[in-house]
Amino acid sequence: MENSITKYCLIDSTKVIVDGKTEFENSANESFGDYMKSIYKHYDLKYPKYFKMDNLCKIAFMASEIILKDNEHIKTFDPNRIGVILQNSHSTIDTDLNYINTIQDKSNYYPSPAIFVYTLPNVMIGEICIKNKFQGENTCFIAKEFDTDFISEYVNNLIDSGKVDICLTGWVDYVENNYIATLFLVEKIKENQKDNISFRPENLNRIK
Amino acid sequence: MNKIYTLSDNIITSLGFTTEANFSALKKGISGIAQTTDPKITQVPMYTSVIDSEMLKNEFTQYGDCSDYTRLEQMMILSIKKALSKTNIIPHSQDTIFVFSSTKGNIDLLENRRQDIDHKRIKLWALADEICRFFGIPNKPIFISNACISGITAIIAAAHLLQSGKYKHAIVCGGDIISEFTPSGFQSFKAISSNPCRPFDAARDGITLGEGVGTLVLTTQKNLVKESNPVIFRGGANSNDANHISGPSRTGDGLYFAIRNALMEANKSNKDIDYISAHGTATLYNDEMESKAIGLAGLENNPVNSLKGYWGHTLGAAGIIECIAGIHSIKENCLIKSLGYNELGVSIPLNIITKFETKEIKNFLKTASGFGGSNAAIYFSEESAD
Repeated sequence: MENSITKYCLIDSTKVIVDGKTEFENSANESFGDYMKSIYKHYDLKYPKYFKMDNLCKIAFMASEIILKDNEHIKTFDPNRIGVILQNSHSTIDTDLNYINTIQDKSNYYPSPAIFVYTLPNVMIGEICIKNKFQGENTCFIAKEFDTDFISEYVNNLIDSGKVDICLTGWVDYVENNYIATLFLVEKIKENQKDNISFRPENLNRIK
Repeated sequence: MNKIYTLSDNIITSLGFTTEANFSALKKGISGIAQTTDPKITQVPMYTSVIDSEMLKNEFTQYGDCSDYTRLEQMMILSIKKALSKTNIIPHSQDTIFVFSSTKGNIDLLENRRQDIDHKRIKLWALADEICRFFGIPNKPIFISNACISGITAIIAAAHLLQSGKYKHAIVCGGDIISEFTPSGFQSFKAISSNPCRPFDAARDGITLGEGVGTLVLTTQKNLVKESNPVIFRGGANSNDANHISGPSRTGDGLYFAIRNALMEANKSNKDIDYISAHGTATLYNDEMESKAIGLAGLENNPVNSLKGYWGHTLGAAGIIECIAGIHSIKENCLIKSLGYNELGVSIPLNIITKFETKEIKNFLKTASGFGGSNAAIYFSEESAD
């Protein structure tokens, strides 16, 4: 049986879409930081660690929370069998540049571990895993654009070969105020419910 | 399901530009780590393992113009060329997929080291595109950036892609360079060893960084394999600690889950393992966590080493070059001494390999852990070791 998208969330600079419905709009045209804070308040999130994250982790975390917050269903799974597989284009370029600013001027040299730790793109997966206690397969792929053919093939294979039972997957990118997160919760469901969207590239292309 | 054969490999580090040169140094206990005061790398004297730039230039000019390629691109192209030269694989074919791993790619471009090269190539996918263009690869490459486990994740992903039958051959290439970026970051964490690193030792005080590239060629086509009893991929898995983004787990449970899942896929038990190639970065917390995970898996009596004392922690290359060394430990039936180790410094009494020895080795397990709480384990063995 095909794997299904049981929930999805898209955040871009103008709106937050959940399962096809616009749930929040950036009507005041806020900057990234303020806009994220507005979303944080809108969904009533309470996670102080969020404020330490870099921008890439912030948007990835936000989309994951919108999908997983108050989700009782996810708690029924074995944490070792919950995967997080993300793809991204610019890796951590925004934080890399911030970090380079701390080391380039030798008269003002102050490399910071708090910035350096965010110069690896899989750290956004780590943040999601820490919040939700997920311990299964986790990989960060890099591609020019969201490669829906590859991601659907890879994630379907993880589920079909029995390596994970459920997977949070999708595309998260942040560069110079251009940002997007499109995350999908994917699993095998027993009864065919007609609202379910098959986890296929054509459906991902329609949503992304 | 398709069997995945290891067909060919190459290692480029401070110890040499071929697998043979590197493995021969390992057998003799020779390290490539030396002190540097190069201001382009560090503000204070630091031990590291770097590739000689003149030697790299001399090697690369056989294949291309150094002014067209970054340091990492030169290393990757050389490594893939050398690995492919031992095979009949045609890289520019629909049957071949490239899988890359790196943590920081062309990070020297961001530090403005090369004004003559298009800075777009700081993007990891653009680096991969450049290599693919050199080899004329039609398929879109796969790129993995999973911190210190990147290389192992890349081999596992490549093997699983081959198992699905979509491709016949995978060229897995991973690497990282040493510039100012990574050393300064680890220095800010106070994680750099004041001497060459000493994995699992009581006196260990941090990592030694190194640069390198490794290439491992995998195939499903047995007719291409020359050996009668080749080494094959049996299984592999990733896991997450879900504990801390930079600190290793206190219990080792995450790495243990990766080991357990790799064994399950390999259809093997802890009793089958002849040798464990650990991550062994020589930080206090990593090695302690790893000893606990190895203990949880019931593997504390199995011979174990860390190869970080030879070429340092090579980040995106580490998983690949250490798997290649393990494959050669099987082929040459030998165990490499865990360099830098003298006295046990972890709470689980591991069976650390203290001297080079020849011994029948059929199965080996490689583990790694990294930032983001990531862990990986991969299992290789001889085809006949069923």
